[in-house]
Formats: sequence, C-alpha cells, structure tokens
Amino acid sequence: MKRNRLTANIVKYAVLTLILLFLLFPLFWVLMTSFKTNMEAYKFPPTLIPKAPTVQSYIDLFTKNNEFFMYYKNNFIVAGGAALMTTFIAIMSGYALSRFHFKWNGWIVASFTSAQMFPIISRLISLYKIMGDIHLINTRIGLVFAVGASMLPFTIMLMSSFYDGIPVELEEAAQIDGAGRFQILFQVVAPLIKPGMLAVGIYAFLLSWDDYLHASTLIQTDSLRTLSAGVALRYLGELSYDWSLINTISIVGTLPMVFLFFFFQKYMVKGLVAGAVKG
Amino acid sequence: MRGGRVLNTKRFGIKRHTADKLFSLMLLLPAIITTIIFILIPVVDSIYRSFFDYRVRNIISGEPGIWNNFANYAKLFSNGKLVPSMINTLVFVFGVVIAQFIFGMALALILNTNMKASRFIRSIMMVPWVVPTIISGLVWLWMFQPQYGLVKFLAGVITGGKITDFAILNNPATAMFGVSVAALWKQIPLATLLLLAGLANVPEDMLEAAKIDGANGVQRFFRITMPYMKSVIKVTVSMSIIENFKQFPLFWTMTGGGPNNSTTTMAILSYREAFVSNNFGSGAAVTTVWMLMMIAVVFLYNRIFKESEV
Repeated sequence: MKRNRLTANIVKYAVLTLILLFLLFPLFWVLMTSFKTNMEAYKFPPTLIPKAPTVQSYIDLFTKNNEFFMYYKNNFIVAGGAALMTTFIAIMSGYALSRFHFKWNGWIVASFTSAQMFPIISRLISLYKIMGDIHLINTRIGLVFAVGASMLPFTIMLMSSFYDGIPVELEEAAQIDGAGRFQILFQVVAPLIKPGMLAVGIYAFLLSWDDYLHASTLIQTDSLRTLSAGVALRYLGELSYDWSLINTISIVGTLPMVFLFFFFQKYMVKGLVAGAVKG
Repeated sequence: MRGGRVLNTKRFGIKRHTADKLFSLMLLLPAIITTIIFILIPVVDSIYRSFFDYRVRNIISGEPGIWNNFANYAKLFSNGKLVPSMINTLVFVFGVVIAQFIFGMALALILNTNMKASRFIRSIMMVPWVVPTIISGLVWLWMFQPQYGLVKFLAGVITGGKITDFAILNNPATAMFGVSVAALWKQIPLATLLLLAGLANVPEDMLEAAKIDGANGVQRFFRITMPYMKSVIKVTVSMSIIENFKQFPLFWTMTGGGPNNSTTTMAILSYREAFVSNNFGSGAAVTTVWMLMMIAVVFLYNRIFKESEV
C-alpha cells in the first residue's frame, strides 16, 4: 500500500513537472535569447544562460526599429477603446438580460451565441465593403467597432452572470424611494458590479490586444497598424529572421498582458469561471 | 435558465409591464445594433456573395458582382483545394481538443490535490494564455528553428546524436503537429483553469465513500468525478472546438499553410482566396462551407452529450 502511494506520487510530480516545463520553459528561453547577441543566439549547441548578456536588442528596438512602438501605441488605443465600448454596452445589456425576462431574451441569447461562432474571415469579406461605404475603413475608430462588436456576445453574457448575483431587493427599495430607472442602474446597481466590470473590461482588453485579422485587413496605413499586424508585416521576412529582435519583440509585446493578469487575476479568474461555468 | 430574480412587475399592472419592456429594449438596443451591423449583416452578406463573381475590382469600381451559377463552389471542389483543407481543419481541431482535454485534466487533477505550491502554480501556469497568439507563434517558431532551435538540440541529445536534422515545420508530415504544439501551449492553461473550477464541484464525501467501498482511483474518476463535472467539461470542450476551428494567426505566422499545403486549413484557404488572390466570391464560398462544417460538428457534439446523459 505504502509503495503504491510512493509510485503514485512519483508519477504525479513527474507529470506535473513535464507539463509545467512545457508551459513555462519556452518563455524563459525567449527571455534568455532576447539578452543574447545574434552571434550567441545562433550558436549550436545553445547556451542556457547568456554568456555575455546584453540589452543591445532592447536598445535597438527603441532606437532603430521604433515603428514597433507606433504599433504598440495603436494597440493600446484600439484595445482600450474596444474594451471601454464593450464594457459600457455590456453594463446595460447584461442588466436587461439578467433582470427582465421577456420572450425575446431566448432569441437574443441564441443569436449572440451563434454570432460568437462565425469565423472572423467570413465577416471581414463583407465588412471590408461595408466599412468602406460608411467611411470607417482604415481608421482606428472603425477597427475599435469591428473588434468590439466581435467580443460583445461573450462579454454581455459574462456581465449578466454578475448581475444575477446581486439581490433585487436593493432595486426595489430604491424604486420605493422614487429613483428613476437609469438612476437605479447607474447609481445603485452598477457600483455593486465593479468586479464584473473589471473582469469584463480586462478580458475584452486581452482579447483585443490579441487581434490580428481585423487589423491586417481593415487597416492599410502603416502608421495606424496595431501590434500583431504591424509585427507580422514588418518584421517577419520571407527568408531570414532577425531572431534577437523577434525575441525582444515577443517579450515587450507580452509584458503588458502579464502585468495586467497578475494585477487583476483575482477578478479575471473568478469572472471567467463564473461566465463559463454558468453561461 | 438564469439564476437572477426577476423584478416584481405584477404589482404595478399592465402599464408597468410595457414600461419594463421599453426600458429593457432600450438597454439592449446598442448591443443589438452593433451585433447586426458588424456581425449578422456581414455574415449573411458573405454567404450571398459566395454565389457571385465578386472581386476587389468590384469594390473599387462599384460594379455589383455577377451571378455565376455556383462556379465558386464548383471550382473549389474541382481544383482539389477544398477537401484537403477540410480534412486538415478537422485533424487539427480534433487533435488539439483531445490532447488539450487530456493534459488539462491531468494538470487539474494534480493541482486539485492538497499540494503546497498549488496556488502559486495555478497563477504562474496561466502566463502562456495571455501571450498574444502571433507571439506564441513566434515563440514556437524560434523553438522549432531548423538550425539553431532548441527542439533540434534536444532531439539530438535524446537520441544520442542520431538526429541531426530536425525541422518539424518544414516537413509536410509533421508541420501540423508543430502548429498543434503551439496551440496546445497557449490553450492548456485556460482548459486547466476551467476544469479546476469543475473539480471544486465534486463532493468530497462521495469520493471518500467510494474509496471506503473499495473503488479504485480510475473507477472513482469515471463514475463520480466525470459525471459531476459534466457541464464544465461540456463548456470547456465546446469553447475549445470553436476556438480551434477559427484558428488563423498561428498557421499564418508559423507555416503560412505550407509546406506543400499540409497545414492549409479552411481559415488559411479562405484568407488566401479572399485577401491574397483578391477573389472575395471564392473566399466567401470557403467560409460558407467552413461555417456549415462548424455547425455540423457543434450539432453532433451537443447530440452526443445529450445522449450520454440518458
């Protein structure tokens, strides 16, 4: 019996170590490479820790390849805008879906769920023309709308699961005190779902930060491109890659997300789990 | 269906009901309008365009497309592009979804035991999930790099120097595996997180009672743990199916659909037709078949889940 337990434990820790190595080592490796010169990065067999650590590729990124920061800034603007837009709409729609149960709710939920399934490319083929017609193509605001819209279904459902957890008695009391409907929503209920707003907002920001397809088709001007599209078009050549630059880009492009996650993980994890498990 | 309580509307009679309706509609309107303009109209429109000869020049000149008797579809079948991409998509989706479930479940089960570092591991393991997709493609492109890549080096060490040439992404037989590894790397954390939440719903005393009755670990897992986690498993797997069906950036950065079209999925094919060859009609035909395929798979999936409930 005791022996069995020991083998079970060994297997358990071996599996754990292997999966964690798989998940964490590649990023460590990229981080290490970003501190190497190209000379050392191309050495075979590779060195685990840089022999002559240097921040040259970071300096190069700031001085020579600084289009990167233009993309970076655009990405902040677009992801931030899309996150604000979706969160605001979700605050209203989530409330409506949670509090009022009309016949159309079923239809709305069903069309939201299916809207989430459609491939982005299918939409882009038409959006390209539609956005051209309403003069939103090749603009940041147009991109914000296109990206924001694609996240609405999930964020609304997530938000409404947060409203479900707020007791209605509060609203009823406010009603008796003579508060108007909008007043109740924005002054009584909304403050109570701040954790929900954070979860939805950060999740939306994370997803828009990741957008590649919308930006690469709806934006043609280089100075308006966002991170993923800009990096893919400018730095990923056909034949050879400047690997220390690419690894540096990978680190700098990921860092904001890592910070955001570790700061707000309590809200995000709770929100995601609630949304997925209940929804 | 939802857990929230409805505001008491009966007390105030009919008038109150109409007012509620108006208010609710007003709150939903921005979401409905945005969804219709940016999602539903474009999708319906692209299905419609798939029956026309419709290219970039039609947009520039403003000429409408020309009905071409299903030529977009006929051409895709006759030039042998569509069927291989359908198969590639299905291979990728099933491979990644199944592997993701197995590894995610293994990690979740391990972290669910009373382990000291569990909390710390739960938080640090999420890092790949927040890495942007394009960048996770770059991370694995570097790992798999044919001359200086770490994976090539490890393959050499493990086989005692027998393997000196190891280029996963350049070989049609292994390229799909290479991209799947990158997809798994990014997706296992979220699957683990959701499955862990599901494991928290499994009642401890049931497991304890079964143990006393002599059920072994495997029996306890399949008879007690899995049934209690059913709804969480269903959501986790269906999210993963949809996400992988839609996967584009990983393929585009890592292989671009090559070598020899071995990683050309529906996403890559439709993008190439629409935005590289500028033939929107043909691209729309691919996305239409792609959507039908997705609907069929999701339908079957729900069906299987329903049947297993009985």
